[in-house]
Amino acid sequence: MAFPNVRLSNRPLHFIYLCDCSGSMAAQGKMQALNQAIRQSLPGMAEVARQNPEARVLVRAVRFADQAAWHLAEPTPVQQLQWRDLEAGGITAMGEALNLVAEVLQSPPMEERALPPVLVLISDGQPTDDFDAGLARLMRLPWAQKAVRLAIAMGHDADLEVLQQFIGPEPSGAGKSPRRPLQASNATTLAQYIQWASTAVVGAASMPASRVTPAPAADRPNPSDSVGNIPLPDLPPTLLDPSVDVGPLVW
Amino acid sequence: MTWLLPEGASLSFNGLDQPLRILRGLGGGTQGQVFAVALEGSGSGETLALKWYFPSCIQRDPQLRDRLNQSIRLGAPNGDFLWPLALLEPSPTSNSPSSRGFGYLMALRPDGFVGAHLHAGGELEISLQTVLKACFRLADGFHQLHLKGLCYKDVSLGNLFLEPGSGRILICDNDNVDIDGRGVGSVLGTPGFMAPEVLLGQARPSASSDLFSLAVLLFRLLTRHDPFRGRLELTIRCLDEPARRRLYGEEALFIFDPLDHRNRPDPIEHAAALVTWPIYPEGLQRLFVQSFGAGLRQPQQRTLTGQWIQALGRCLDQRQLCPHCGQETFAEPEASSSCWSCGGPLQPALHLQLPHGRVAAAAGNQLHPHHFDPLSNANLDTPLARLVAHPSDPALLGLQNLSDHSWQGVLSSGASLTLEPGQTCNLAALQQLHSSAGSILVVRP
Repeated sequence: MAFPNVRLSNRPLHFIYLCDCSGSMAAQGKMQALNQAIRQSLPGMAEVARQNPEARVLVRAVRFADQAAWHLAEPTPVQQLQWRDLEAGGITAMGEALNLVAEVLQSPPMEERALPPVLVLISDGQPTDDFDAGLARLMRLPWAQKAVRLAIAMGHDADLEVLQQFIGPEPSGAGKSPRRPLQASNATTLAQYIQWASTAVVGAASMPASRVTPAPAADRPNPSDSVGNIPLPDLPPTLLDPSVDVGPLVW
Repeated sequence: MTWLLPEGASLSFNGLDQPLRILRGLGGGTQGQVFAVALEGSGSGETLALKWYFPSCIQRDPQLRDRLNQSIRLGAPNGDFLWPLALLEPSPTSNSPSSRGFGYLMALRPDGFVGAHLHAGGELEISLQTVLKACFRLADGFHQLHLKGLCYKDVSLGNLFLEPGSGRILICDNDNVDIDGRGVGSVLGTPGFMAPEVLLGQARPSASSDLFSLAVLLFRLLTRHDPFRGRLELTIRCLDEPARRRLYGEEALFIFDPLDHRNRPDPIEHAAALVTWPIYPEGLQRLFVQSFGAGLRQPQQRTLTGQWIQALGRCLDQRQLCPHCGQETFAEPEASSSCWSCGGPLQPALHLQLPHGRVAAAAGNQLHPHHFDPLSNANLDTPLARLVAHPSDPALLGLQNLSDHSWQGVLSSGASLTLEPGQTCNLAALQQLHSSAGSILVVRP
């Protein structure tokens, strides 16, 4: 006498971290901060996945330093994920990291039907290899074009231009936007952005949330959902100031 | 999570005599965050929920404050809504990071209620009867809301909570509720639930778009599937916004459209729909065909809340247990048919004829005031009687008097008996009961 054991068919949502593990990440505890931020974000991410019968959230991670390598190669259901610490040391093979991601976004191994993938690139410096070639190869793939691509700049040495190229065309207007590199100037902001990407963005890419009419451009602190095939949620308000980017502080 | 209001703090608000203690953060969404709070020094220790808005949300939705005040003034349509109780703004003296915002107080969601998405995701143990009861209450809730001249605007799986044992519901996030037809306010709805004319930007949310979203939500609850995801979905590789606009708007086609078969469920990808849809009687299926067929493009063709209430109530009354496999079945009473679960033949069964309805004799079915009085609002909250199996012999079926009055019964032998409140009489020997509400006639097939 029970409801039949059936459920709505779901689609995979691939979430891939691309983490800079170059030597500079060892300074001022940045590597530890990133490991902590990702680990702390997992319960919230698992909860979003649970609330989302339409999606099967699968996580992977690439690390890049002297070379790029899969840190977490197996697409892992977020509920089962245990984050292994990344370690810093070497230079910044960001282009090679994009190549690795390109390999998994072509079908096969990519499923025929899926939700838009989410790619999160986190870096504190400049690529030391052929970034342009890696990006060009990645962006030839339809799944990469459809992906939600986010970038987080750690500290003030990150190459914002390169990160913007990864995300796509820069939005018009000034101010914070998820279509610009997110500048994490301290560990708290980093954790907020990682949490936002792994919960709010995963939610938006998998299960449509309540939609609101866009306010007139002039009133909008975050001209966020004007581009792209997935409307991005608002950035998390920081306690310092909900609408103004305070700029880099000290690490 | 970073909380907008500091946990443990005691904050003063305009209009509240005592300060409010922020006990803990409960969760956050795109609009704001919800906290468990208690009035300081109230002694009662009653905890309430406080929703506090992000500044960006307030900025985007200039009518929010007026809408909340209006809803607080009008009051909840019925007890199934977590309705705003009071608007809270920080008093000028309070010096907190929240001093520019506002929020509203509501009751705390009681333990035991879970998000309806758990049911849709197949993670709940729940009976078909319970799901139908939840659907009945949902239709009734929106019936009451619309009768007050209001519309909800954002009906979706995310705003509904269920109690899996009882079928009680809670409708949350009532801050978009407005007078129907005003067409202002920022919310448009949730893709997948939005009426096509709203999704495609041709209309603002209204009571008639609520009717479409309600039909989608009822379908999701009853079938654990989506009314528009059939074979046409399989041609979509990346299910993103443009794809959803086609699937639910421009090219929307009901998977069980009686004439157009192009979007039938795929036997492997959409198995849920093929298992669950045949469970329901034609009278209920027809209302979905109506809402997702003609009602797709013509809002005035959509099934009305009153029609849903009637069809769902009738479905509950028709509930029988399959004599072969024990599953709950809902076949139309006159037709002889087969069990959706095991395929075994279903015979017309014993039922109770009431002045205003008939109820199949199956353990768990209930008699309600609306079965006796056509003017009584259809409602599941105050059953007058229920069918129960004998505790030691499940084959014996009885009718339990849940009213406060004693009833007189006439047996097949002509003898009579008195059924006191709480007592159960064996249906096998019973011919008729004279209840406080009206007569109950036992009809054998």
